Amino acid sequence: MTVSNSPEPRGGLEVDLDDELLESPPFDLLLVPVVGRFLKWRHSRTVLGIPLLTISVVMIWHGLLGPSISPKNLATVLTWVHFRGALVLVILVAGNFFCMACPFMLARNAMRRWIRPRFNWPRGLRNKWVAVALFALILFSYELFGLWSSPWLTAWIIAGYFAAVLLIDGLFKHATFCKYVCPIGQFNFIASAVSPLEVEVRDQAVCSECHTKDCIRGRHAPGSDLVVLQRGCELALFLPAKAGNMDCTFCLDCVHACPHDNIGILSRLPASELMSDPRRSGIGYFSRRKDIAALVLVFCFGALMNAFGMVSPVYTVETWLGHLLHIQSEAPILGLLFTIFLIVEPIVLLGSAALITRTLAGVKQAWLPLVLRYTYSLVPLGFGMWLAHYGFHFFTGLYTIIPVTQDAVASLGRPFLGEPRWTLLGIPKYIVQPIEFGFLLLGLAGSLLVAWRLAEEDSEEHALRAFLPWAVVCLLLFVASVWLMTQPMDMRATMMAG
Amino acid sequence: MQEQITPQPAHVGPATIAVQLADAARNPVDHAAIMVEADMSHPGMSPIFAKATEPTPGNYRAHINFDMAGDWVVLLHIKLADGRKIERQVDVRGVRSN
Repeated sequence: MTVSNSPEPRGGLEVDLDDELLESPPFDLLLVPVVGRFLKWRHSRTVLGIPLLTISVVMIWHGLLGPSISPKNLATVLTWVHFRGALVLVILVAGNFFCMACPFMLARNAMRRWIRPRFNWPRGLRNKWVAVALFALILFSYELFGLWSSPWLTAWIIAGYFAAVLLIDGLFKHATFCKYVCPIGQFNFIASAVSPLEVEVRDQAVCSECHTKDCIRGRHAPGSDLVVLQRGCELALFLPAKAGNMDCTFCLDCVHACPHDNIGILSRLPASELMSDPRRSGIGYFSRRKDIAALVLVFCFGALMNAFGMVSPVYTVETWLGHLLHIQSEAPILGLLFTIFLIVEPIVLLGSAALITRTLAGVKQAWLPLVLRYTYSLVPLGFGMWLAHYGFHFFTGLYTIIPVTQDAVASLGRPFLGEPRWTLLGIPKYIVQPIEFGFLLLGLAGSLLVAWRLAEEDSEEHALRAFLPWAVVCLLLFVASVWLMTQPMDMRATMMAG
Repeated sequence: MQEQITPQPAHVGPATIAVQLADAARNPVDHAAIMVEADMSHPGMSPIFAKATEPTPGNYRAHINFDMAGDWVVLLHIKLADGRKIERQVDVRGVRSN
């Protein structure tokens, strides 16, 4: 198999990741009977979105009007246990299929039947900075307001999400919300760098002969450019030059638009897109995108912070900081912790590693580009941490959705699902814990592999020297992750209360 | 109605919930059935149930086990002898790890 990270038509730059894999053609999900046919059906996304939209509406209803106790409410149980866990597991074993089935896009597409957006997203905002800020804000709010413990707040977040999508995509053309705003989408984009599947061109030679470029331009009615028969990629990814899953929502508009049936959902080596730095359509070079690197940092170090907020030592640290700074309020203390975890710690760790790499291996690159370049090597490790954390809640609380649903149905006066079986819980912790450590180890291995590939490229003679500082960073983060996972859980809605 | 959870502050492990029921004239209300339910603040956790005993008229006790540190919500499902039902919620914040 050849994994192409090339923005050029085949025959240009191409990265052979494993010669042994060259033997067999990649697996193509769209060629699988039934599944492939369904996905290629132009209404497949709508069909997948309808159940999720229905569930979203039920979650809002139950969150606002159901029990106020979090473990008994569909909004909190589905959002913070099942949705998050299923999301990372699907990304791990397949790809960004949650964006494909996004309920917000279903509502947005329905709205756009009547409302045509008129504006272009401001040029100055065509980057990930807004999304980085929103992503960090959600992580911060999660801890500050104990979102997991509040069905009411959770319901309002879901409702607010719908409102934001409709407002932004009602005003601005293309997939503005997905590409520049949606924090969940950005999480998925970064995480799906380690997915085994990618929407990709099957044969670059076919694309080089193609003159219509429907995959990005879409198809229009003959004689009228205003009548769109089939959208092209709304996220500005030109398929022949697309490399990796960044910004790809798996909407399959390109698949439906391609007149040559030349786009598939192909298998690849997970994280291979991080092992080189080609010019990517709709994105450019990763190593020149400070905003995407910042997103990766929030993704990786936010994973640690998010888990840290759920274990006992965080309260000791908060109380100590409160005494030290004579602050009783939680927000500034939490803000300080977030600043340390998401800004200071990455600067110190990655900055030092870059300096040492330059000194030890004689890499000529400037300090900042070097930091940016290797930042992406942390993605597998960060994803491993999210997997371990969300996977823990998902597996240990797997069956709790059953009694909560029974209770919700019974509250309507028709208990046809029976009395709630509150004793149903999930997979025992002694089984889940080794799986957690497996996820962390998988992440470490992925990050080390990516860093090694980058080091090899940077310094053929001293690859090991270039690699070592980043390996140390990865190991430190891995040890921190393992430590966090072995701490006693302590889930308080207000940190300073204890 | 008065309720008390011991030990204070609550920590991971066994805890006793004492409930005192009295009418407006401060006479003990006996022969009530009290089911204690303890829920964590985080979803995905199973509730803990315990049936209260009545060692003396109007005084009820139930034993539960806080198996995790964090915020808990204790619900008292009370059914009086005359069939009336009362629900009471007690927030137990910051159950400490040992």
